[in-house]
Amino acid sequence: MKKVFSTFSPSGWQSVSRLGIALIVALLIGLMAGRVALALAITFGIYSLVQLWNVLRLEFWLRHRRVESPPDISGVWGEVVTIISRIYRRKQYHRARVTGLLREFRRLTTALPEGAVLLGPEHEILWFNRLAGEWLRLRRKRDVGIRIENLVRHPAFVEYLKTGYPTEGALVQDLESDRWLAFNIVRTGTAERQLLMVRDVSEEQQLQSMRKDFVANASHELRSPLTVISGYLDALADDDNLDPTWNTPVLEMRRQAERMRTIIKDLLELSKLESGEHTQGEHPVDMAGMLALLRKEVMALDQHPRDVRLLLESDVLLKGVESELHSVASNLISNAVKYTPPEGEIELRWWVDEAGAHLSVRDTGVGIAEEHIPRLTERFYRVDPGRARSMGGSGLGLAIVKHALQRHDATLQVQSKEGVGSTFTCHFPRSRIIPRSAGALATA
Amino acid sequence: MEKSDLSHHILSRYNDDLERVRTNVLQMGGFVEEQLKLAVQALVQGDSRLGEQVAHGDQKVNAMEVAIDDDCSRILATRSPAASDLRLIVAVIKTITDLERIGDEAEKIGYIGSRLAAVERPADRYREIKHLGRLVGDMLHEALDAFARLDPIGAVAIAKKDRLIDEEYEAIQRQCITFMMEDPRTIRRALDVLWVARALERIGDHAKNVCEYVVYMVHGKDIRHLSMEDVEKHLQSRSSKSPEPPPAR
Repeated sequence: MKKVFSTFSPSGWQSVSRLGIALIVALLIGLMAGRVALALAITFGIYSLVQLWNVLRLEFWLRHRRVESPPDISGVWGEVVTIISRIYRRKQYHRARVTGLLREFRRLTTALPEGAVLLGPEHEILWFNRLAGEWLRLRRKRDVGIRIENLVRHPAFVEYLKTGYPTEGALVQDLESDRWLAFNIVRTGTAERQLLMVRDVSEEQQLQSMRKDFVANASHELRSPLTVISGYLDALADDDNLDPTWNTPVLEMRRQAERMRTIIKDLLELSKLESGEHTQGEHPVDMAGMLALLRKEVMALDQHPRDVRLLLESDVLLKGVESELHSVASNLISNAVKYTPPEGEIELRWWVDEAGAHLSVRDTGVGIAEEHIPRLTERFYRVDPGRARSMGGSGLGLAIVKHALQRHDATLQVQSKEGVGSTFTCHFPRSRIIPRSAGALATA
Repeated sequence: MEKSDLSHHILSRYNDDLERVRTNVLQMGGFVEEQLKLAVQALVQGDSRLGEQVAHGDQKVNAMEVAIDDDCSRILATRSPAASDLRLIVAVIKTITDLERIGDEAEKIGYIGSRLAAVERPADRYREIKHLGRLVGDMLHEALDAFARLDPIGAVAIAKKDRLIDEEYEAIQRQCITFMMEDPRTIRRALDVLWVARALERIGDHAKNVCEYVVYMVHGKDIRHLSMEDVEKHLQSRSSKSPEPPPAR
């Protein structure tokens, strides 16, 4: 109680003392007139009428505070009015600030070079910026609340929205404008909201296809002259009348022509993989059998490592394109053979766990320095240009592996230590595993 | 509080069912649109493999139709929908029939396209077909948009485009006849092209039907066999009376 008294404001004290004075005056008048009760009752009556009037004015002002100025009341009620209007002013200031920020944000998102759509838990459209509206032909206001897949119906996009695959986003060609659009979903803090980013990738797409066409055409065109050259070189090598001093140059020319043929073959294969067309259908592939065959091939080479160990811990089949999976395994193995000295070892392992199926190729070769590992799958990337040239190979092997794996939703992991050896591991998702009994064998 | 929660729950499951059917129809529509686009592309670019791929894809369209049909009969049996919900189900059942027919026509175009890929291509590289294909594709796209937005006024505007497609079809027909008269060796190809044009024109008709179902779904009025001007007048008077269309999702 004491605390409340001590925190009374001056106007509070003023009101209390006014009431006290009025009561004392009323008491005196009552004593003089001999009617104390009546005098006090009249005073209290007047007092409560005044209070009621003030409360009514306050209530009126609160109800119409947008147009009315605050009432001029003295005493405690005046203080109340001041406090309330101060609170409102502060609120208004904050609101103005937030609105300003929001307007700024809207302007920024409109100027964004990408389209953005905010989606709710059921994929309903909550908000979108100008570019997204233009590209997806959404109508402002009218389309808010409609599920996005009802308006953007490209099968690839719907698949991406439902399953999240492919993980790098969906790419669709718009039917009306022929624009290529890339969709990406960004999960914002809460699971309730998703941000859909839309990018116009028509130009990139065009460049990509031009580049692919160029590589495909160039390698195709290079092949025919090369066939002629190797044909004559073969004939020269078999010619007994040739001056013996020419033997070494002809042999070297044949070797280089063969190397060129490999490069062109790999380039063609890579461009086919990149073109994104599954030329062959997917079948169950017996990876264990394929590895056993490849091991035999390695052991039959003139120069092979001391031992190629085969650890087949599972006999499951893998759903995929056999020729592509074969080129993954054979490229990894031929790399291992190339960089492993004759006294070294290679280990091929095929196993299955909760994460999926795995294929690993481990060698005890020269190893790769850490800074080279991220760049290994670039085409024509060489760890040691001098050495690579003497060993042959196209420099495209790992690029082919990477692309072939991508088409099978798989990833490549490289672990290596210089002087100790390297391990290349391919991780295939569970969805591609087929138990042996279920699928007929496609591999011979 | 508990009571309102319970009723909300039941209602939302029902709503979800209806919503899913609608989304599935539009998904089927999206797939059919893609089929149409690829079929025309296969013909124009002379890509026989693409044409075969389209012809194969029709099985998926049929499977989608069966699945949606099942969903509809299940909703009819278990929820006994009334009023606008019932109209939605009826419109859906009709729409998927039309979409399935569009799929069939696309299959036909894909098949002819893969066959024509082996034949020498005309000087104009099927420009007329490409143009008609684009018109029809746009019309189908907009019809499905109107279905998604529950937009009867838009639907009627789209349905009127059917006339344009008919005119275009007649032009191609005349052109083909001229070709055949000029050079009898092109008769076979010209007949195939006529078939494709005919299929595209039919797709336009089916898209128009979808538009009519949208009007039925929203206003409960059957506008088949009425002139589009009357329908438009009627709709405008209606929309001025009831400015609040049902919320679309």
